[in-house]
Amino acid sequence: MNNYKLIIMTDDKQVVLERILQVTRYRGFLINGMTAQVNTGNNIATIELLVSSDRPISLLIDQINKLVDIKSVEVDNSASQLCSA
Amino acid sequence: MNDSKPLTGGGLLFKVLEQHGVEHIFGYPGGAIMPIYDALVDSNVQHFLCRHEQGASFSAVGYARASGKIGVCMATSGPGATNLITGLADALADSIPLVAITGQVPTAAMGSDAFQETDIFGLSLACTKHSFQVTDINDLEKVLHQAFAIALEGRQGPVLVDIPKDIQIAAVEQKFTKASSLKNKVKLPLADITKALDLLTHAKRPILYVGGGVGMANAIDEVRSFAETTGLPSVSTLKGLGALNHTSENYLGMLGMHGTKAANLAVHDCDLLIAVGARFDDRVTGKLDQFAPDAKVIHFDIDAAEINKRRIADAPILGDLKENLPLLTMSLNIEDWQTQIQEMKADCAWRYDHPGDGIFAPAVLKEVSDLMPENTCVTTDVGQHQMWAAQHMSFDDPSDWLTSGSMGTMGFGLPAAIGAQISRPHDTVIVVSGDGSIMMNVQELATIKRYQIPVKIILIDNAKLGMVRQWQDLFFDGRLSETDLSDNPDFVMLATAFDIKAKQITQKGEVTAAIKEMLDHDGAYLLQVKIDAQENVWPLVPPNSANNEMMESA
Ligand SMILES: Cc1ncc(C[n+]2csc(CCOP(=O)(O)OP(=O)(O)O)c2C)c(N)n1
Ligand SMILES: [Mg+2]
Repeated sequence: MNNYKLIIMTDDKQVVLERILQVTRYRGFLINGMTAQVNTGNNIATIELLVSSDRPISLLIDQINKLVDIKSVEVDNSASQLCSA
Repeated sequence: MNDSKPLTGGGLLFKVLEQHGVEHIFGYPGGAIMPIYDALVDSNVQHFLCRHEQGASFSAVGYARASGKIGVCMATSGPGATNLITGLADALADSIPLVAITGQVPTAAMGSDAFQETDIFGLSLACTKHSFQVTDINDLEKVLHQAFAIALEGRQGPVLVDIPKDIQIAAVEQKFTKASSLKNKVKLPLADITKALDLLTHAKRPILYVGGGVGMANAIDEVRSFAETTGLPSVSTLKGLGALNHTSENYLGMLGMHGTKAANLAVHDCDLLIAVGARFDDRVTGKLDQFAPDAKVIHFDIDAAEINKRRIADAPILGDLKENLPLLTMSLNIEDWQTQIQEMKADCAWRYDHPGDGIFAPAVLKEVSDLMPENTCVTTDVGQHQMWAAQHMSFDDPSDWLTSGSMGTMGFGLPAAIGAQISRPHDTVIVVSGDGSIMMNVQELATIKRYQIPVKIILIDNAKLGMVRQWQDLFFDGRLSETDLSDNPDFVMLATAFDIKAKQITQKGEVTAAIKEMLDHDGAYLLQVKIDAQENVWPLVPPNSANNEMMESA
């Protein structure tokens, strides 16, 4: 299992959090932790997602990117650890 | 619209539909959508009352696929909304642009387990491209425009808009005078084709592998001219049928589980696979790590998430096919490979000689295909009859071939044909159905009767859930479990009850005359074709096998 930290910027729209969680589960990633905050000034939410999976993280990034309200998805390499468990 | 009445949310819905050129919609009324149905009375949009919301959703899918326009369906809250879900999931899986409107209980009642309240917004997450729930009347107009834009942009798909009853009733003013649309959110990089050009020039045994994305991208001309100029041997997925010129000597037909032997062997042997709007689906690849094992891959797609999802691409080309495919068009030096392909094609040609007086379904479908008028649109249900139709019928355009590809949804054929016929009133529309599948949306015979929709239904009747029976025979030691349908209703009598002309045939000698009678008949027609229950679909790539390990008989 590899662990990754994703930083997701998104418009603060209806159920965007649910959408991200649904895609993450469906595409085969376990959620180990999450923080979410909205900047009320510009209505942009920042979501940090700690996930783990055997699958390449690019698969999840591509799928989250397809969600309509998402602005960007990045992997925080400093906080991600690739280990074999 | 009657201008003396103030505009409501329901009225605004139809104004926006009209702005987007929507002429026909499919639906079923109920309590939580009554204000919208009330507004319908004053609108120019023509509504078709289906007899089940699943029928409405599939008619919208058929409408969209046959015409290239967006399909629109609507339903009430609760059970009406949940009945749409199978159609939405089917549309998502096959990338079909739909807008689905659902009524919802009033905002004040939401979350209280109100009568006919279901969280369709929550349910929509896994079966739509995007969804909205409108809780402020001032958002309605913009949301509706967005729904249309999202359904069409990039990789197409279904969008659901859930509208609570109080929003449908609320007074509102229309702000946008014309249909507004979104810009494509995804900035596609300029395609880097250098690597692809290099791979193509050096390939000795290249194959063009064409999928449903070609039709969706409206890139049929580009793909055909690419195939012709390069002389590439080509194969098609189930959903891609119709995109390539089926009379070309280098075209090998469908690949995959029930593909042609030539297509599967050629792909297995190729050294370069050029995937165009195709996604390496498991029904195509068989055992993935043994699919085209020696091939490099050039992958054209509009959806970044398809690149490297199931097969790493050596040269990914992301973006619009119409623009990108011509960049790779050139003439190639592959005569030896072409000769090999053409020999393989001749060796593996279909045979229609079949012993006995009983009817051979592949021969029937081949004959229908030869006799049907130009621009005929064929829809299918799911099972053996679907695979025989894919193998033995030929299509000039993907919009003439509507089958539930990714979901494989029984019950698709009849309502999809209704939608197709409404979108193309001057073309012949034929449903190839099975005795199991037709019963899944049989209520739509009433829609055919009501609107006098002249679809032709060919019912391949083996008195079995044939495809499942075939698998039980081949892979479960012949232990038959719940696949017998020998107590089917009298289908001729059933059709007659809906004023649909019908006939049953049981002998080879009756086939030609019956097909002609059906095609010549002005109105709807059901031709029940009785076949042997033990017939199997061949060839077949068994589960977990490579595509070159096809079975050709039991
Ligand atoms: C909604 C749905 N339920 C179940 C299935 C599984 N299934 C696939 S083919 C098939 C048999 C279809 O029978 P019929 O329509 O008579 O076609 P045949 O294979 O006999 O030609 C079944 C049950 C399905 N594809 N869709
Ligand atoms: Mg059957």
